Amino acid sequence: MTPALQAIGITRRFPGVLANDRVDFELERGQIHALLGENGAGKSTLMNILYGLCQPDSGEIRVNGRPVKIASPHDAIAQGIGMVHQHFMLAPPLTVAENIMLGQELKAGPTRVLGGLAVLDRRTASRRIRELSHQYGLDVDPDACVKDLPVGAQQRVEIVKALYSAADILILDEPTAVLTPQEADELFVIMRGLAKQGKSIVFITHKLREVFAVSDRISVMRAGQMVGSLAPAEATREKLAEMMVGRKVILAIDKAPAHPRQPLLEVEALRVADDRQHMSVDGVSFHVRAGEILGVAGVQGNGQTELAEALTGLRKAVSGHIRMGGRDVTRATTRHLIESGVAHVPEDRQKHGLVLSFSVRDNLVLCAYYKPPCARGIALQFPIIEEHARNLVRLFDVRTPGTATPVGSLSGGNQQKVIVARELSRLLSHQADPAGPPPILIASQPTRGLDVGSIEFIHRQLIQARDQGAAVLLISAELDEIMTLSDRIAVMYKGRILDTLDAATATREHLGLLMAGVLRGDDAGEHAQPAQQITHGDVKAS
Amino acid sequence: MVGGFFQQSSVYMPLLAIVTAFVLGGVVIWVTSGSLDTVFLAYEGLLRGALFKNRGLSESLVATIPYIMLSLGIAVGFKAGLFNIGVEGQFYIGAVAAAWMGASLQGVPAIIHLPLTVLAGAIGGAIWAAIPGFLKARTGAHEVITTIMMNYIAFRLTEFLISGPLRDPNAAAVQTPRIAPGAELWSLYAVPERLQDPLNALLVALIVAGVGFVMARWALPRLARRQRDEGRAALLNSALAQAGVGVVAGLLAFAALPALTRLWWPFTDQYDRLHTGLFVALAASVGVWWLLWKTTIGFELRTVGANPSAARYAGMSITRNIMLGMSISGALAGMAGMMEVLGVSICRCLPLFFSSGYGFDAIAISLLARNDPLGILLSSFLFGAMRNGADLMELTSGVSKYIISLLQALLLLFVAAPPIVRWLYRLRAPGGREESATVTRGWGGQA
Ligand SMILES: Nc1ncnc2c1ncn2[C@@H]1O[C@H](COP(=O)(O)OP(=O)(O)OP(=O)(O)O)[C@@H](O)[C@H]1O
Ligand SMILES: [Mg+2]
Repeated sequence: MTPALQAIGITRRFPGVLANDRVDFELERGQIHALLGENGAGKSTLMNILYGLCQPDSGEIRVNGRPVKIASPHDAIAQGIGMVHQHFMLAPPLTVAENIMLGQELKAGPTRVLGGLAVLDRRTASRRIRELSHQYGLDVDPDACVKDLPVGAQQRVEIVKALYSAADILILDEPTAVLTPQEADELFVIMRGLAKQGKSIVFITHKLREVFAVSDRISVMRAGQMVGSLAPAEATREKLAEMMVGRKVILAIDKAPAHPRQPLLEVEALRVADDRQHMSVDGVSFHVRAGEILGVAGVQGNGQTELAEALTGLRKAVSGHIRMGGRDVTRATTRHLIESGVAHVPEDRQKHGLVLSFSVRDNLVLCAYYKPPCARGIALQFPIIEEHARNLVRLFDVRTPGTATPVGSLSGGNQQKVIVARELSRLLSHQADPAGPPPILIASQPTRGLDVGSIEFIHRQLIQARDQGAAVLLISAELDEIMTLSDRIAVMYKGRILDTLDAATATREHLGLLMAGVLRGDDAGEHAQPAQQITHGDVKAS
Repeated sequence: MVGGFFQQSSVYMPLLAIVTAFVLGGVVIWVTSGSLDTVFLAYEGLLRGALFKNRGLSESLVATIPYIMLSLGIAVGFKAGLFNIGVEGQFYIGAVAAAWMGASLQGVPAIIHLPLTVLAGAIGGAIWAAIPGFLKARTGAHEVITTIMMNYIAFRLTEFLISGPLRDPNAAAVQTPRIAPGAELWSLYAVPERLQDPLNALLVALIVAGVGFVMARWALPRLARRQRDEGRAALLNSALAQAGVGVVAGLLAFAALPALTRLWWPFTDQYDRLHTGLFVALAASVGVWWLLWKTTIGFELRTVGANPSAARYAGMSITRNIMLGMSISGALAGMAGMMEVLGVSICRCLPLFFSSGYGFDAIAISLLARNDPLGILLSSFLFGAMRNGADLMELTSGVSKYIISLLQALLLLFVAAPPIVRWLYRLRAPGGREESATVTRGWGGQA
């Protein structure tokens, strides 16, 4: 049988990097083909080439055995190729339906022709979108504005968009990076269904669990080259990790018990409204002590985003109190909070965390550019900024041609590393200074989109920061991450903290039930009070 | 394409755009005039008028000066994510403010009066631009709309002021009074004469000292890094050495320039209108470059312009930066207007019919230059030369001088839409994420 999609000898060079080096890739019809590789291995580049977003220097692409030239996404769509990008390609002010129709307005279907003028038929489009979302169990509201949607929902819109163009070949570039494990599992059911109907799917992910859960074939890239391709039955986690990194990786991480001290971050009866004035954080109380990691578990969209924004001054609290190092900072500005020791890894890296057109080194001083040693008076001190960047790039293994490279041209995982490097280095500099501000880290999805090796590294860094006395608030949709790193786990559901558990005794099942809102804190057995008062009590006890 | 310099798309794309615009313009001339000779005649006239005829080059430079200032203003705005279409209005207000300040003091020496008048022009423009900035920061009113509206207010306000409160009662024409000699921007021709006044020489010496100091601060540490002897390196790095260079340069200028310029001075044509504002414009473009790329202020402005969400995340104040960006932008535009009054206008005053159109060309210039200060110098000269050469072109070839507008429009089209040029020359899109010419953000949700 001829493969649905075939890439032969694809080579693509960017300034300073060989992103794809004579890559061969084959996708059979009806196959779900997982593509693995370290951050910066060249996976997205290969997919962008197949989707016409980027032209290869040499190489050939065949669709159903026929050589084709794909000069633009338009050509790709015409060949039946659809793609969901690693970073969203949606127009935030438009509605879901408009976004999905974008670029396909003039195709047969949801357009009527009125006296020579094509008229957008939003109603038919909305209906088809509803059908699709029903059919595949992807919950999207065609009339919602994209900018109001949480990341998880935006991801679903992207998938519906690809399905909408009736693609036979689907390229999913890290679709699960922003999904919760439950949502990911739902996506796998959809993918299976699609594959049964003869669609072929390329699926990029860094999560080995997902590879085994869904793929029919696994290919691994490293440093621009295709290392090999194997069936899931021949693969083990260790083997895949080794193929990716080129050395053995220790997947388990060991951590010493925490020695928590005084509370550094205290939150009391905090209420925060989202953009639509809905109370997304509704009376939350907790504290994080120096030398401990408090994990916040919960399905995305239960107020974690707003909580992190309130703690970093990006969103004003409606009521309640936030104290850091004993001082009330409820009304403090972001700048003030940065000065008083808060480091923040934001949830949406491209929106908040980075200025994509700026160089790596400028992004690495995004929160410290204005004060010594980065600046003297108003004059930026470039030698120091450059040295700072070199150190962090080396320490955090950011794969970049240089410190002057625009951050937007780095691979997704390396962009994340730039943010984590910047924030952790700020935290470390606070810790180095005993008279300095209390080191507090708010980390939202800190390892989103990172490869196994980098995740391991960042996890070690977080634990090291903890051991040196930082208070870490870890917000993550990855239950595994929460469970490996946290000392205590708070479960958020509908804007409240249902319960706070000791990580040593918490089980996946119990957490899962809490996250689903099935179990309430007062059913948990160990505590007899309603959830809110428990956490209140915690604050007072400490 | 030869050399690394020309391989940068920011260099060859504008060049290709210019070439393409001129070729297409030639086709239009050919078609409309019916003869190929006219095309060459026209372009030859344009070139001669712009550069080679008597005072051609200096008149081109006279037009280049306001272009530089205005497009620098627009570039600062662009970098901060603001599309300041209102530079024309700010230019007017700067001109009025300068005309008022220049005429309202009499007998004050240039060393005091000239800086005051320059400042008046800058502040006038800054305030005019800060109003739309304030509206945007507070209410989200889009600056494209408000600055255009402010333009009309500026035009009418200027007319009112010139024909009413500021009108020169002794002049037949409707115009403001002639500014005091102390507030005039010297024409280059008059420099030797001006320098005979010791106070004027002192003014020049102070400026030279300042420039010397800045250059020393830039150059000495670089020299020091190459020194092997540590003591000498430390000396070169010391503030004393930098100040010393400035003082010495100033003293030398004070002592020698008046006599030297007397002995030899290249500008001997008393009808030559080229004025010292040229130096102001050059200094401004270095200053803007430094501000945008080398200071924390520029870092903030550029961050707010490139990604307001990230700016907020980093603790920057969007409101403050919008106001600041608009004010700097307006100050530069106001200074352009100031220089027209103090240095160019024959009556050294502001006449009622003072229409420039410089401000709108400047939008095209800063786009062509991609908001790069060095590029702005070159593109401004291109536009200044075309504006100046057009008359002779019309005279020699009979082609209407408005063909210049067509050329500029084509240029703008090709610069704004690089895919057209790429398609014409079969060029591949550059590898990296292209710095998209985000002209302005949407109407809604600003910060
Ligand atoms: N537009 C670009 N300009 C310059 N370099 C680029 C560009 N796009 C990608 N690169 C470089 O190519 C290499 C491969 O990047 P790519 O995005 O394909 O990695 P990836 O395998 O998708 O990684 P990740 O898992 O982090 O998403 C990286 O080193 C990156 O810096
Ligand atoms: Mg990628």
